[in-house]
Amino acid sequence: MVDYVLSPLFNGLFMAMVVFLFTTGLTLIFGILRVLNFAHGGFFMIGAYVAFSIVRLVGGETSVLAYLAISTVAGIVVGLLGLVVERVIFRPLQKVDEAYSLIATYALLLITEGAVKAVWGVSFHSVATPDLLGGAVFAGDLFMPTYAIFIIAIGVASYALLEWVLQHTDTGKLMKSVASDPWMAGMLGVNVPRFYTFIVVLGFFLAGIAGGLLLPNQTLSPNLASTFVIQAFGALIVGGMGNIRGTFLAAIMLCVIDSFGSLLFSEVPGLFFYIAMTAALLLRPQGLIAGARL
Amino acid sequence: MRSPLSAPIARDAAIALIIVAVLLAMPLVAPKGLVFVVGTLALHIVFGLSWNLMFGQTGLVSFGHASFFAIGGYFYALVARSFPDLHPLLGFAGAGAFGVALAVVIGLIALRRSLGVYFAILTLALSQIVYLFLSSFTPLGREDGFTGIRRPVLDMGLFQVDLAKGDNYYLFIILFSTLLCAIIWWVRHSQTGRALRAIQQDPERAAFLGINVAGNRLLAFAIASGVTAVAGALYGPWLQLLTPDVAHWTLSARPILYSLLGGVSSFWGPVAGAAGFAILEYGTRTLHGFSEIIIGSILLAVVLLFPGGILGGLESLRRRHATPASAAKETRR
Repeated sequence: MVDYVLSPLFNGLFMAMVVFLFTTGLTLIFGILRVLNFAHGGFFMIGAYVAFSIVRLVGGETSVLAYLAISTVAGIVVGLLGLVVERVIFRPLQKVDEAYSLIATYALLLITEGAVKAVWGVSFHSVATPDLLGGAVFAGDLFMPTYAIFIIAIGVASYALLEWVLQHTDTGKLMKSVASDPWMAGMLGVNVPRFYTFIVVLGFFLAGIAGGLLLPNQTLSPNLASTFVIQAFGALIVGGMGNIRGTFLAAIMLCVIDSFGSLLFSEVPGLFFYIAMTAALLLRPQGLIAGARL
Repeated sequence: MRSPLSAPIARDAAIALIIVAVLLAMPLVAPKGLVFVVGTLALHIVFGLSWNLMFGQTGLVSFGHASFFAIGGYFYALVARSFPDLHPLLGFAGAGAFGVALAVVIGLIALRRSLGVYFAILTLALSQIVYLFLSSFTPLGREDGFTGIRRPVLDMGLFQVDLAKGDNYYLFIILFSTLLCAIIWWVRHSQTGRALRAIQQDPERAAFLGINVAGNRLLAFAIASGVTAVAGALYGPWLQLLTPDVAHWTLSARPILYSLLGGVSSFWGPVAGAAGFAILEYGTRTLHGFSEIIIGSILLAVVLLFPGGILGGLESLRRRHATPASAAKETRR
């Protein structure tokens, strides 16, 4: 029971929340600007490296609160980079064909990888989990690392927060209206370009904070940028073209299936994620939550 | 108004002849490292051209093109190791046929249900499956790669060519790549090519005119995949090693970069894009970290300043500097 049901379920949920935290910013930007940002992983990586540098600066031991604060600072740094990226790259891209935004964001990914190599070098780094999150909890025979429980809680909380903002606040309604028809929103007096800037900064902030939060889970190297991108694209598209709820559900579905799949067939780790992704795209090409914007 | 076929055939043949002559003469003047880069470039040109046959002609965006390159490469390597007496040309042809067969199976399932971003992401998912298999399947060498792929002896009946000697394999790659490029050129300019272009412009109208939309898309996908598989098969003996990295999604991004960088609307676009990219890579190879920054910045500049790619940018420059009379003629056309 524990080995074959609860444990894979728990691991799947943990992985799902990792992917979801990575994907939120990507989903926001894709949902509103329709730019599939390849460089998202690059900025996630920069967030992780910034958090790593701060941790080293303040010394090894960090409390949970300090760790949250450090992640937020990483988010703010990356958000500011987002401001620059929006002005210099995303805004001019609105005028060219969609396919070219793909190559532009890929170019940006290369630049972030190069920048990380130039600033932090190519060697591997890692950071210890904060003391309070370093342990594990046993529920019966089920082994649950405290850090994994923490990430699952953060993931669910972020989802709840984003969903609440989108469904119940004026900002959220504004986001949805711009996402579904930017021209009409502009006619009704929304400053669409400024709103786009806000979304890009928010999306980058989410990438940076995710980088900080997931730092104890990763080995830092310039390859980190391309690690989660494909899983993130999977969750984004299977969820239904850029809505938060769909992304959340798709991340859980794909990762839990993958977790159970690895029980059956452990030779190729990660295989079932892509099998589930392929099946989902073929069976439900419109996505889990079709038609919804954000 | 130019005639549709005769003018490009003469012009393109002349350009191709000059390029091939220069490439064949490379080993006489260039250092070994550069010759290796150029041989790889020739295969990447085939890789880019075949991708653009799908995108430039039918608007199909595949994000898993590298998996066919890898499948062709591993197929040839496995066949050559298992049947050492098999004629190498049969091995290369077999890799191509295997690529075509696989593409037909995938295309039959995938192309009917999904187009656009969905097809792109679907091919991406499938290519990840290929990548994971190659990196964990023991007979294929897992992450260490498939080692010791030999450059074969080519038995041509009357005479034999040992491709392992000197620059023979380089010359073989150049000639074989030229043949593959010629196949793509021919498909592009044939009746099939015109049908494909009609589909790209307006699939509904094309279907109304009696063009088999699904069939032609499948054909483009199969040809592009088969040609790429052959290029991959040629790549194995060139490197004498294949690692799962040839199936990685970053390699699938390459033909897209080449095509968009060079310009998707012209046959020569991916050629210019691949060459430009290789020059950038070769020029910045000693600058750690900064090489990515330079390549990325130049790519960005091209996209933002010349959305038509290198060739599109040259074309618009030419038009701007053309004499008023010819400029007027251009606008009328």
